[in-house]
Amino acid sequence: MKRKTTSNSEITPAKSRRSFLKGLGATSVATPVALAGLNKAATAQNNDPVIIGCPVSLTGMIAADGIEVRNGLEMAAEELNEQGGILGRPIEVHFADTESKGDDMVIQATQRLIDRENASAIITSYNLETGAAMINAAADAGIIAMHAFTSTTHDDRVLADPDRYWGIFQYCPPERIYGEGLLDMIQTLEETGKFDRANDKIAIINGPGSFTGQIAAAVRDGAAEHGYTISLFETATPPVSDWGPVLAKLRADPPAVIAMTHYHVQDQAQFMNQFTTNPTDSLIYMLYGPSLGAFRDIAGENSVGCLYSSVIGVLQDEIGTSFAARYRERYGENSSPSVGAMAYQAMFAYATAAALAGGPGEPYDDTQNRLVAEKLKAINIRGPVGTMRFHHDTQSAVSYPGETDDPSLGMPHIFSQIQDAKEDGYVVSPWPYAVRDYETPSWIKGGE
Amino acid sequence: MKRTQKLQNHLFIGMAIVAGFALLPMLSDERFFLGQVILFFIWAIVAMSWNLLAGHSGVFSLAQLLFVACGAYGVAMGVTYFGLPIWVAIPAATLLAVVVALIIGLACLRLSGVYIALLTLAIAQIVHSLILSDTSCLDGSGVSCVAVSGGTRGISGFDGFGFKPILRGNWILGNYYVILGAFAAVIFAIVVVIHGRLGLAFRAIRDNVGYASSRGVDRKRYQLLAFVVSAFFTGLAGGLYAAHFQFAGPSIFEFSNVLFVLAMMVVGGMGSTWGPLIGTALIMVLTEIATGYGDAKNLLLGAALIVTVILMPNGLAKVIDDTFTKLRGVVRPKTIGKEVRN
Repeated sequence: MKRKTTSNSEITPAKSRRSFLKGLGATSVATPVALAGLNKAATAQNNDPVIIGCPVSLTGMIAADGIEVRNGLEMAAEELNEQGGILGRPIEVHFADTESKGDDMVIQATQRLIDRENASAIITSYNLETGAAMINAAADAGIIAMHAFTSTTHDDRVLADPDRYWGIFQYCPPERIYGEGLLDMIQTLEETGKFDRANDKIAIINGPGSFTGQIAAAVRDGAAEHGYTISLFETATPPVSDWGPVLAKLRADPPAVIAMTHYHVQDQAQFMNQFTTNPTDSLIYMLYGPSLGAFRDIAGENSVGCLYSSVIGVLQDEIGTSFAARYRERYGENSSPSVGAMAYQAMFAYATAAALAGGPGEPYDDTQNRLVAEKLKAINIRGPVGTMRFHHDTQSAVSYPGETDDPSLGMPHIFSQIQDAKEDGYVVSPWPYAVRDYETPSWIKGGE
Repeated sequence: MKRTQKLQNHLFIGMAIVAGFALLPMLSDERFFLGQVILFFIWAIVAMSWNLLAGHSGVFSLAQLLFVACGAYGVAMGVTYFGLPIWVAIPAATLLAVVVALIIGLACLRLSGVYIALLTLAIAQIVHSLILSDTSCLDGSGVSCVAVSGGTRGISGFDGFGFKPILRGNWILGNYYVILGAFAAVIFAIVVVIHGRLGLAFRAIRDNVGYASSRGVDRKRYQLLAFVVSAFFTGLAGGLYAAHFQFAGPSIFEFSNVLFVLAMMVVGGMGSTWGPLIGTALIMVLTEIATGYGDAKNLLLGAALIVTVILMPNGLAKVIDDTFTKLRGVVRPKTIGKEVRN
């Protein structure tokens, strides 16, 4: 399902990036200021704190991400409380550790936050659950739940049963955007003369699980529309230390693009080390892994030239860099602002919507919580990950440029490229958030 | 005290416990609280069943959580893949656990002591690993893979007890009373087994296998029976777990849960009647207190085990039993010598 929510003729590449970002800067300031204004004008409903619950993995396999989510929410709560919280009521965030476990643990954690802590809303990123556990517990309690599962399943569920899931919001676009966005980005590179395809073939190296599978399927299904055919579709099960058999196939039939949706960072880095010994003229895109320092540590100079993307990541603009600096100052140089920023901005969105609705609702008070949900659908929140705006039907974040032509109305799907093995990648797409131009990798003939 | 009198007393205690839990929702209808009590019922069934096997029959099996998984996965797969109604899937899954127990029991009970523990643990861990590494594609498309076993994420979203559309916001009360009913049936059945002729045979083998054999009690036959009976109740607990959470996943029988239930049994008192119930309640309260302190939960469990083993080697049930005996001795000093544990 590919759609555009707007067709904005006013914003064109002709308009300067600086003037556009300057405008956005004003907008971004307006959001917290607007909230502060609402808080100032309001007579505090009461002094009871507004409880936000976060069921997240603080121990176990995915604890690293969970801790960043906790950091982001705590930072947001502190900044919001400095501006009066929500209509004068301070925000308190309560966490329940889901221990990197499945649905049973997520249900218990969510139920604890609702019944024991009296949470008015649930905000989290993701857990190792099937996507039904947290949202059903929240839907049963009639409260708002905001998550970043990055899942088409969320869209399907909300579309199938909007009466049940009116309060469930996915504050990032679904995973299929990764695949669709990759093809669009390559087309843009070709149109601007930055990439010249060697042939019309794309090789897809998929990973296990539905998340990577959906992305791979989106690339496969959209390839023909962009004039490509799929020359290889291989599913690799981690850990993969020997890429020899896959590389043999790639070298026997070299593709113009290699899209790796298999996202285990060690495996991806090993791929680059083995690929560069005898490379093909292929643009290489990898999911997630190259955004981590570990990728560059393992692959070293072989990592330079790799493209990767995120449908919800910290921008390298004024707001994003300011956030990242504050975040790192607070949580250390090794912290990850990209993960923290997601929940941070979701908290601002919820607080603004709750204030506009006249205050948050309590658990099982779906009348007031429905008002908050309506306001969430009505507002745009600009923050470190760009604009957060929701589709009214699926209640997922609108993606730019995949679902809107207007960069001020969608969350940018940002493509980055590693251009120096010692530094994080630079955003090379989309306009106006790109800070560097795409560089042809050294392994492609004519590259640098 | 005569055996029938003792059985009656324990059945009376059981009835009092069940009646108390039946009235509990009138004191608090908080969903989280009732959810925790439901979990207590389920873990208590597992701990009591395990106690029947390890505490009374002397078979130290570490495959007990595998039978929970058989029940849970049986329900999940039965409902998801075969469209069985939940009320059919639960007994079917329970029978599945019994069949698995029979196979494992026949293989393992040729051994004794620590070897049974090692072999049963190995079997449980192999199954756990197979599920974790399951990347098969049920639909065969190779893209949107749904592993047959659900893989690392398990199987979810299948129909539960079906109270949500009927009771709406109070659906948990439906689940509560169904699981309480099963809990009641299991504890009465276990009390009858423990304090009947079967329990006597189990304990005879546990205490002196040579003497029991000389009196015609077949070790293998009775231990296999204990294995299967215990798996029946444990499988039922797994089925109830899956129906309540509408989920079955590998986290159910990972090793930390084995230690969790073992702690319930040891702290409560292995070989007693109500020890596992007391242990389950205490460990769940301790776990709840430790929630929010991350890995401190495991430290607390470890500390509880150490304290129990050092200060109360026979568990809390024995301490409570001794205390009551002393109190009765103060009132009726002449009856002391006639009291028998259990």
